[in-house]
Amino acid sequence: MMTGTVQTSGVAWLTRATRHHLFWPVVALVALWIACGLVSPGFLDVKVVDGHLFGQLVDIARNSVTFLLLALGMCLVIATGGIDLSVGAVMAIALSVALTYIDNSGNGESTTVALTAIGLALAVAAVVGAFNGFLVAGLGIQPFIATMIILVAGRGIALAFTSGQITTTHSRPFKSIGSGFVLGIPTPVVIGAAVFAVVALVVRRTALGMLLESIGINRTASHMAGVRSRNITWLVYVIAGVLAGLAGLVYGAPTMAADANNIGQLMELNAIMAVVIGGTKLDGGKFSLAGTIVGALILTTLDRAVIIFHLPSESKDLFKAIVVIAICIAGSERLREMSGLRRVPRLPGSQDKKVEVAA
Amino acid sequence: MTAQTVSPQVPTTRSGPRSADVRRRLLDRRYLPTAGTVAALLLLLVVGQLRYSTDDRSFISMRLFSNLFIDNSYLLVLAIGMTFVIISGGIDLSVGGVVALVGLVVAKLLLNGVPLPVVLVVGVLVGTAVGSLIGVMVQYFRIQPFIASLAGLFLARGLANMIGTTSIGIKDPGFEKLASWKIKFGERPDIWYVNLSMIVAAVVLLAAVYLLHYTRFGRTVYGLGAGDGGQAAGLMGLRPGATKMWVYVVSGTCAGIGGILFAFYTKSGYNLSGVGMELDAIASVVIGGALLTGGVGYVLGTLAGVTLYGLILVVCNREGLEPWWNRILIGAILLGFVLLQRVLVARRR
Repeated sequence: MMTGTVQTSGVAWLTRATRHHLFWPVVALVALWIACGLVSPGFLDVKVVDGHLFGQLVDIARNSVTFLLLALGMCLVIATGGIDLSVGAVMAIALSVALTYIDNSGNGESTTVALTAIGLALAVAAVVGAFNGFLVAGLGIQPFIATMIILVAGRGIALAFTSGQITTTHSRPFKSIGSGFVLGIPTPVVIGAAVFAVVALVVRRTALGMLLESIGINRTASHMAGVRSRNITWLVYVIAGVLAGLAGLVYGAPTMAADANNIGQLMELNAIMAVVIGGTKLDGGKFSLAGTIVGALILTTLDRAVIIFHLPSESKDLFKAIVVIAICIAGSERLREMSGLRRVPRLPGSQDKKVEVAA
Repeated sequence: MTAQTVSPQVPTTRSGPRSADVRRRLLDRRYLPTAGTVAALLLLLVVGQLRYSTDDRSFISMRLFSNLFIDNSYLLVLAIGMTFVIISGGIDLSVGGVVALVGLVVAKLLLNGVPLPVVLVVGVLVGTAVGSLIGVMVQYFRIQPFIASLAGLFLARGLANMIGTTSIGIKDPGFEKLASWKIKFGERPDIWYVNLSMIVAAVVLLAAVYLLHYTRFGRTVYGLGAGDGGQAAGLMGLRPGATKMWVYVVSGTCAGIGGILFAFYTKSGYNLSGVGMELDAIASVVIGGALLTGGVGYVLGTLAGVTLYGLILVVCNREGLEPWWNRILIGAILLGFVLLQRVLVARRR
């Protein structure tokens, strides 16, 4: 550990700050916002129109909710050393189930119908999550391959629900979860904040977070220590499934169209990216919920920045790739070694002991 | 080689050290998943033969296999590259994006009058470049393969989007000639073809078999997948570090070749082609018997995996199933193989 004297305490503080897992993500987010604000002066303004919040930042918050919901579930899964590739497909399944139900009910304006549709969709999402959990925790299959099954088959299942059509329907109550306002705040933002609060409370105020990390560090050891690793792993995949289902509903509600082929496309990768940008390592055993929010905001801001910088919208993926590479390299051990910011190893040769875990 | 390893001598009923040895070989978890793939292939072929054969035309025919490989040679090449990465314990998510990027680069360069041989070489090198970038990130900056190759995917797709968002048809006469070149075999109604893509895929296949199973490099790839980050391989005097980077170069190069074959197949370049193709490749490799944890699998297993993958689509098509059933069936088959692998691994312990 570093013990800074008075003269070097400033440097030591800076060194410590740059080592914090949130440092680079937050720097990237603030830099993006400042850059956007410079190019488009109204960017940072938040206005109240008709009692509703409006502005670019509000839009970013609203749009980031899909990423956030997916990424929160993903973050917990990754904490246990797993991964969930099925979330994009689950989004499509949940939305297809909900809209097909509303369409068949013939009474979209009824709040009961909308609520039943939501409940049904989340239940199906939970079942899919339980299936993933069964494969991973029950049968001990590698998470990557276990969740790939739904990734491959999920859109087929969603298309089977909608009979291969793009189901479009009308339901004001259902639509409001994507485009409505609660006390002037966009409903998705309220949903995202509520879910985040619940997850953060459950994970950080109970032992669950610690148990997740212990499973991620060493499943066998934590099992021997009395952690019910199997049940917890199972639970985590169910949570990820339900949150993905909710993300699908929030994402699809404004348009009320279930396009099973395209909704949630590449979302599993975006969600993983949000988690990793937020400083959570894919190896498991350690996770950051706050970082996940920052990651989701960075991804959404990137989408928006492309428009603000008047870049062709086609350059979005390129832009994302460059930012991800930059953040990963900035946070990599190698760069710290080169820049001398890395702590001196306490034991000679201790840095050679690093064992890498593949994805 | 697959045939050799999965069906050695039929075990004799007499018990003795020899038959025990044979049985142990048969139950070796390294061979059984691939044996399962071959069994599934045979089952599908038999079912197809019973259901779709007519008096004058048999379902199992050279024609069937020729069509299978005309439709899937690009996937085979992608999956072969992916086999290296997966056996080394890594993953390469970028290959679908590379296919799109290469297709567009080829189309654009030909449109600008660049000579065909140059275009083809540049196309393959584009794949090599993306693979090298991922390799450097994985090996030098120690970024996890999943994230590094994900960045590679977005990079390749992003570049492809920048080149163009509409499908660009390839009208270069030389290119068209190569794409439609084929040798005819057999008599009507059993005419079948060998085209250039099949030959390229076969060459890549043979090169990969040699590289992975008969060279020092190949042994190091298996060593990397052993689960210790290549430490044991390093202690044996192999060079795991450089190899870790090279598997991504191999995969990227294969993706480059696959991209050109896909351009041959579609005679166009399009930024949205190859979406999800990396998953087809990974699924084929897994169905072919490789373990995603690394260390287990082989190139000819991947050949069996790709063939099974293609055959499923043929059967779905023949059954007149709605297209979404393809995906559900492939998911179900994937599930079956994963369960099979799981059972085998469990039995070994």
